[in-house]
Amino acid sequence: MFCFWWSLECGLSNWVRDGTMTRYLIRRFWQSVLVLFGISIIIFIILHLTGDPAVLLMPPDATQEDIDNFRKLMGFNDPLFVRWPPWEYLSPPWRFLTDTQYGRFFTGVVRGDFGNSFRHQQPALGLVMERMPATIELTMAAMAIAVSVAVPVGILSAVRRNTALDHAGMVLALLGQSMPVYWLGIMFILLFAVQWNLLPAFGAGSWKHLVLPAVTLGAFSMARIARLTRSSMLEVLGQEYVRTARAKGLSEVRLVLKHALKNAAIPVITVIGLDMGTLLGGAVITETIFAWPGVGRLAVQAISYRDYPLVQAAVFTLALIFVLINFLVDILYTYVDPRVAYK
Amino acid sequence: MSDASIAIGIGEAAAERENRWGLGRLLRELLRNKAALLGLVILVTIAAAAILARLVAPYDPLFQEVTQRLKPPGWTTPEGRISLLGTDHLGRDILSRLIFGARISLIIGLSAVAMAGTLGTLIGLVAGYRGGRIDDLCMRLTDTMLAMPFILLALAVIAVLGPSLRNIILVLGITSWVSYARVVRAEVLSLRTREFVSAAKALGGGGSRIVFRHLLPNVLTPVIVIATLEVARMIILESALSFLGLGVQPPTPTWGGMLADGRAYMTTSWWLATFPGLAIMLTVLGINLLGDWLRDVLDPRLQL
Amino acid sequence: MRKWTAWIWMAALVLALAPAAWAAPSGKVTVAQGVDPTTLDPQDHEETPAFNVLLNIYDTLLVRDKNLKITPWLATSYKLINPTTWEFKLRQGVKFTNGEEFDAEVAKFSLERMANKALNLRMTALRVISRVEVKDKYTIHIITEKPFPTLDAHLTLRGAMVPPKYFKEHDKAFLARNPVGTGPFKFVRWVKDDRIEFEANEQWWHGAPKIKTLIFRPIPEETTRMSALQTGEVDIATNVPPHLVKEIKNHPKVTVSSAPSVRTIFIPLYNVQCEMIQGSYDCTKPYPGPTAKAKVRQAINYAVDVDSIIKNVLEGQGIRTATPLTSNHFGYDPKLKPFPYDPARAKKLLAEAGYPNGISLMLHSPNGRYPKDKEVAEAVAGQLTQAGIKTELKVYEWTTYMNNVAYRHGGGPMWLIGWGNTAWDADYTYTPMFRTGQVLANYWNPEFNSLLEDGQTTMDPKKRLQLYAKAGRFFLDDPPAISLYQQIDNYGVSRKLNWTARPDERIEGFSISLKP
Repeated sequence: MFCFWWSLECGLSNWVRDGTMTRYLIRRFWQSVLVLFGISIIIFIILHLTGDPAVLLMPPDATQEDIDNFRKLMGFNDPLFVRWPPWEYLSPPWRFLTDTQYGRFFTGVVRGDFGNSFRHQQPALGLVMERMPATIELTMAAMAIAVSVAVPVGILSAVRRNTALDHAGMVLALLGQSMPVYWLGIMFILLFAVQWNLLPAFGAGSWKHLVLPAVTLGAFSMARIARLTRSSMLEVLGQEYVRTARAKGLSEVRLVLKHALKNAAIPVITVIGLDMGTLLGGAVITETIFAWPGVGRLAVQAISYRDYPLVQAAVFTLALIFVLINFLVDILYTYVDPRVAYK
Repeated sequence: MSDASIAIGIGEAAAERENRWGLGRLLRELLRNKAALLGLVILVTIAAAAILARLVAPYDPLFQEVTQRLKPPGWTTPEGRISLLGTDHLGRDILSRLIFGARISLIIGLSAVAMAGTLGTLIGLVAGYRGGRIDDLCMRLTDTMLAMPFILLALAVIAVLGPSLRNIILVLGITSWVSYARVVRAEVLSLRTREFVSAAKALGGGGSRIVFRHLLPNVLTPVIVIATLEVARMIILESALSFLGLGVQPPTPTWGGMLADGRAYMTTSWWLATFPGLAIMLTVLGINLLGDWLRDVLDPRLQL
Repeated sequence: MRKWTAWIWMAALVLALAPAAWAAPSGKVTVAQGVDPTTLDPQDHEETPAFNVLLNIYDTLLVRDKNLKITPWLATSYKLINPTTWEFKLRQGVKFTNGEEFDAEVAKFSLERMANKALNLRMTALRVISRVEVKDKYTIHIITEKPFPTLDAHLTLRGAMVPPKYFKEHDKAFLARNPVGTGPFKFVRWVKDDRIEFEANEQWWHGAPKIKTLIFRPIPEETTRMSALQTGEVDIATNVPPHLVKEIKNHPKVTVSSAPSVRTIFIPLYNVQCEMIQGSYDCTKPYPGPTAKAKVRQAINYAVDVDSIIKNVLEGQGIRTATPLTSNHFGYDPKLKPFPYDPARAKKLLAEAGYPNGISLMLHSPNGRYPKDKEVAEAVAGQLTQAGIKTELKVYEWTTYMNNVAYRHGGGPMWLIGWGNTAWDADYTYTPMFRTGQVLANYWNPEFNSLLEDGQTTMDPKKRLQLYAKAGRFFLDDPPAISLYQQIDNYGVSRKLNWTARPDERIEGFSISLKP
């Protein structure tokens, strides 16, 4: 049988007392750190695959000598990870940290320093942090709109199964999942801003500026969550214990809201956690269309210009936020479904 | 995260599932469900158009006639070419490009899914069966993959490798294996302890034999469901890449590319963007209808 | 009695307000560009958006008026003393917005900062300056390493005057975000990727600007930028696409202001292949393909119907050019006529060159950097293919294009490029693009090279014109490129503003005013 997170019969307090959860969380924490560094290595390798950006950062009339000097100055001639013969870099062993490009990057990150952006000549992390609030605002708003519309629609569709309401809701959801983000965004701008003059066409500012970008970004998730909520609810409503409760005379509303919802929430929470990652990364297109001053746009430009420090800072920070969110989802999970086993 | 709960759920459904495999029964279920039937009809039409493109398309999708650019649907050129859906910014017939574009979109969707599905299934099988350290490693790999913003990864890879059909399929395939891996792993975890596995082990079957002969067929069901729905996602992602300029090279027509090119003309020549958009929507609709039905029939516990 | 007082009050009110309303700058103007500048340090960039923004804060020694003639700005006069020494007389009574005074020491500091290799600034054109000597409080001598005839042209754009004390007190990172200059506007704030805000500098030496607030906002997506123009959220928008020009011209709230652009679009052709040998490029081997032959390159030029492209793809928003120079560039030869469209002649030339059955070539193009760049490339590829020169098109995102195609000699045998030469001198187009050995050049012709060398070191303008006229002829006889067209810059402008577009892409805040 299920038990609810606030009830002592779950033995939640037992878990806290014997430290199982603590150990689990600590393990997850270290694994997350590993994940973050894994990401940075992957990005590092990919970016360096076509050589260095020295040529891109110099003006078109620079001479070969200028470019070579610049290369030396930026340390692009040093090996990425290790040079042949590798034992040269084993004694003293800290040479890896000072003489290789990744080594330098690693020591910097541990101190919180991603270096200066090549193109902007400003600390990379600072540039990312400036834009982060805007991206987070957009992502949160998108998710909030998505959930607040999708969950009620999903519940209603499940409860009024196979009626016109159900079909209408699901058709809309299907449509929402099949439109490319940028098309939706441009249509919204043309309709709501240019044609009807209801909302601003671009930029950040008042709550009015947030509406169109947030709806555009959240549309896909909204559709997915609506369909998921519906199927999850349908499944829970068909369970033994629900039929029993209904037979016992529990009111429909109470049934749906207090009992069914809690259990139907499990897969929905998973999807919300996963979708946050998609939204954070997918904000790129929405930010470009609406000229929203967020990290996505910055990261795209940085990749184009092979601005390594900036790319690393952006990807690292976005991944960090994603990992944190999923960490929270994990914790939320252990309350909602205590059947989750800790390995 | 939800691995255990999925495992439990799937385990319970697995028993039911073993009764539903009959193909005849499957077809009868399909004919009964109108929505799924509609989806199937849509997909078959589009697939037919894609395969028979050369026969069905009225004109050469690459033929430019710059003096006939941006003409509305139904336009007839002085030479007698009738463009049912209008011409694009270089005078090419949109209908023909749409038909050939179906080909590319489907190729991308199916190839990327095949690649991702194979990769994900393998990883899931290994992780689920071996367990322990290897499982942990695979799970961290999964987390790493999930934490990386797709668009940025795709941008980085394509910026390095160059945009081409092959590279796009590569990028989509390499970044989308996670859903398959998770589900397969959960399945394997639940199946691992079942009798027929212990029986096979007792009979002296080696590890890989067990994996391929016994586990794989059972694992394929949820994989097929996910794969179907993922094709839709691949098509939409291709159009996102086209928007960023990383899509398939012109003059090859793809729906995503046509949509991206046409967006500048939305107020003056709406047909350039609207028809590819409708094509994408219809295809994804069809896939979703069919995929939903597949899931309901084969594995209702599968929550995506 | 009451009516009387009311009238007196009203009159008094009007009289009190009128002078204020008439003299003080008022109003807010928002300009939308496609990109945000990366820095506000006027000496550390080479990007058009940064130039546009910074010309409102910093002044240079010279400037070009609306007819592109070089006029005094912070310098009142100048003359050449000997081939490597220039004398500049400076304007008196000019102050920076932080109080520092402008004089010869300031000019010395500013110019020597630009010439200082150790600082690694991205604006390298003035590194040819070896030193600046202060003759008296308002006179300087600029000494160049070698004769540099285009110094004054460069000083209309580069070499902004910066306040020495302020620049010495802060590091490069701070200066890149907090500009202080002598210009018509004061810096208020910069929210990256969102807006750059300026406020009128009422003490400007040239008179107070007419608008109070000037804001620059980057909107990369073209459809959004045009939408923002139509809703009134921005007052000036750059780069109206050709197919929207008519619609916006007839819009009730906005209109289009056009100017022939400084930028020309052309397709350089490879006749040598540069190879990386021991860290530097060697460009002596002929290109391993048909374009090594002059006749083939001529055939290519005959096979492209540029007029049709301008009329249809650009909807008339382009001017045919015979070379990559516009009529405003020094060194332009009006007697040089472009290739006529003659596909039959192209086929004949190909046969003469030994390719009676046609050839196969690759064309590289950026996507979205210039208006309709990809469409133009597609049209060119189509036309060439129809004339027997089967052309495969490869389209790139801009910075990948620069990195892999432009800067690594990887664009063979044809690649599309635009060049906005704001020095307005033929040398700054021909040399970087076509002089063998330059990072962007893939052409070798010894006579052409020596003409360019002479042009760089001759100080006599008449002689230089002759040299460049001769150089221009190579575009017909031994074509280094397919010259396509000069762009027309279309700006969307709110009908509430008085502003006309300039041919050099500058958006001068002090010449904008609001209609009453």
